[in-house]
Amino acid sequence: MTSVRWLVALALLLVLPLVLPSFLVVVMTEIAIVALFATAFNLLMGFGGMVSFGHAAYFALGAYAAALLVKQAAWPMPLALATAPFVAAAGALFFGFFIVRLTQTYFAMLSLAFAQIVFTVLFKWKTLTGGDDGILNVWPPPALKSPLAYCYFTFAVAGLAMLALRAIVDSPFGYALRAIRENPRRARFIGVNVRRHQLFAFVLSGFFSGLAGGLFAFFNGSVFPDFAYLNKSFEPLVVVLLGGIQSFFGPLAGAVGFKILETFIARQWPVYWPLFLGSAVVLVVVALPQGFVGLLQRRSWRIRAAR
Amino acid sequence: MDAVTSLFPWITNGPLIVVQVMSGLSVAMFLFLVSVGMSLIFGVTRIVNLAHGSFYMVGAYLMVTLVETLPAHQAMFWVALVLAPLGVGLLGGVIEVTLLRRIYHREPLLQLILTFGLILVIGTLVLLVWGPDNKSVARPDALAGSVRIFGQPFPSYYLLVLGLAPVVAIALWIVFYRTRWGMLIRAATVDREMLGALGVDVATLYTQVFIFGSWLAGLGGALSAPTVAVALGMDSDVLTTAFVVVVIGGLGSFAGSFISALLVGELQSFGILVFPAVSIVLLFAIMAVVLIVRPWGLLGRPEE
Repeated sequence: MTSVRWLVALALLLVLPLVLPSFLVVVMTEIAIVALFATAFNLLMGFGGMVSFGHAAYFALGAYAAALLVKQAAWPMPLALATAPFVAAAGALFFGFFIVRLTQTYFAMLSLAFAQIVFTVLFKWKTLTGGDDGILNVWPPPALKSPLAYCYFTFAVAGLAMLALRAIVDSPFGYALRAIRENPRRARFIGVNVRRHQLFAFVLSGFFSGLAGGLFAFFNGSVFPDFAYLNKSFEPLVVVLLGGIQSFFGPLAGAVGFKILETFIARQWPVYWPLFLGSAVVLVVVALPQGFVGLLQRRSWRIRAAR
Repeated sequence: MDAVTSLFPWITNGPLIVVQVMSGLSVAMFLFLVSVGMSLIFGVTRIVNLAHGSFYMVGAYLMVTLVETLPAHQAMFWVALVLAPLGVGLLGGVIEVTLLRRIYHREPLLQLILTFGLILVIGTLVLLVWGPDNKSVARPDALAGSVRIFGQPFPSYYLLVLGLAPVVAIALWIVFYRTRWGMLIRAATVDREMLGALGVDVATLYTQVFIFGSWLAGLGGALSAPTVAVALGMDSDVLTTAFVVVVIGGLGSFAGSFISALLVGELQSFGILVFPAVSIVLLFAIMAVVLIVRPWGLLGRPEE
């Protein structure tokens, strides 16, 4: 049954971009990128019990790495895109070294603070990053330039990355991560090196966030310091909250809902979009802690923090 | 020594250093007002109010509006300086009663997520009410100029800020250590369940503390309005710096906030001389060192 369902989903993904108007093909591409970003984020939040408020930092590191390698170093696009996640992972390793020493509140706040540093550096280092003006004309090679081609390309890259994330979640490492989420002390007693596992999860999450950032750089054709700003850090959080935390595909469902909302609200009333985003977070927390998907499934879950 | 003087030519300039120390002290005053409120709210309610920078920003914007709308009279600056923080206190009270009160019993992460969401909501509302352009507040005539300190010009308005700093610090100390209400706050910081069991109305205390903390942030914002461009990015800038202050000082510690605000204020003041573009990176480097050596801050307590 499941394999049939998978085949149907795959067939839909292959056929839909062909029949949909190109405007929706662009939206679908963006959904795939957001879904990858949110799934990477949820490796920490849902499976590791660690909430990062600054994941935009790794998204932005990936996006800027890809853009700079193509523009300044004149690397071919696939090579630049393949390098982007490693740059983001290096950033995640450096910041994560400090962040995973902390728990809960401090963890969230320190991750936010580091993202602010990344934002400040991107904003102020004008000679390298172009400051507020960003880096323009970051386009993929002609073969991938059409919306349809880039859509399939994104599906392939994001799909493979999500399969890799799925494999990570189902691996012994993934189970150790869950054990740490549920009870860090007990996990330590049975011989799990808690901090090293958390750091590794942080780096992996930064890696895939950077890949999402790289994909987005070529999708958008330009990169800006805003990629590292608070609003961007909100995105995976809202997506995961909408989709529900403890299912692997929750973020994917959340990304679909989120992007549809954004397409209709942000294009019509761009000023109100952050207001909507913020209110949605507040409302979900106060009224629907299970998220919308969780509400449908009536599955109980708890966010447990790594202690 | 020659290498040092060539790198930092100001190091032999005594008067400049004095002025720099003084402007660092006034920065510290603003930081102290924000971070002590944040720290106080955390100490009692265990909620880290990420919207605290937003409260500061609202205080500054209210100051802009009040100075513009009140009749043009010198005394009105001071009226506005009293009213703007009260408005922010009111805002804090409304948020506490309608939203935060529902989630005190829930996971800390959900509480963080909620106040994180408030940043966006308040930021957009400020954009809608006041528009995207930067605003400024004129200093009252008496404090509009500058005085000379060892021959170096120093804005008179900063003298007011410097004069207020010890007044506020002593007033807060009296509130915390010499009043019954302050005693209840300190008791709640240590063990709020026990305090409730002893018959204290903890829910009301939470609301009062949240209003008081918001008022302090509003006061910081209103007081700083004549010294900066009142702009939309203030919320996250202030939040980030206040966060550095509370992390270095220790969340929930009054004295910690004070010492750490002084440290960070001076660092910012001198950091601009040494590394103009990246002084904030220097702050974070120091914060990282503190977090490694004492993750709960200089004067804080380890998490349970």
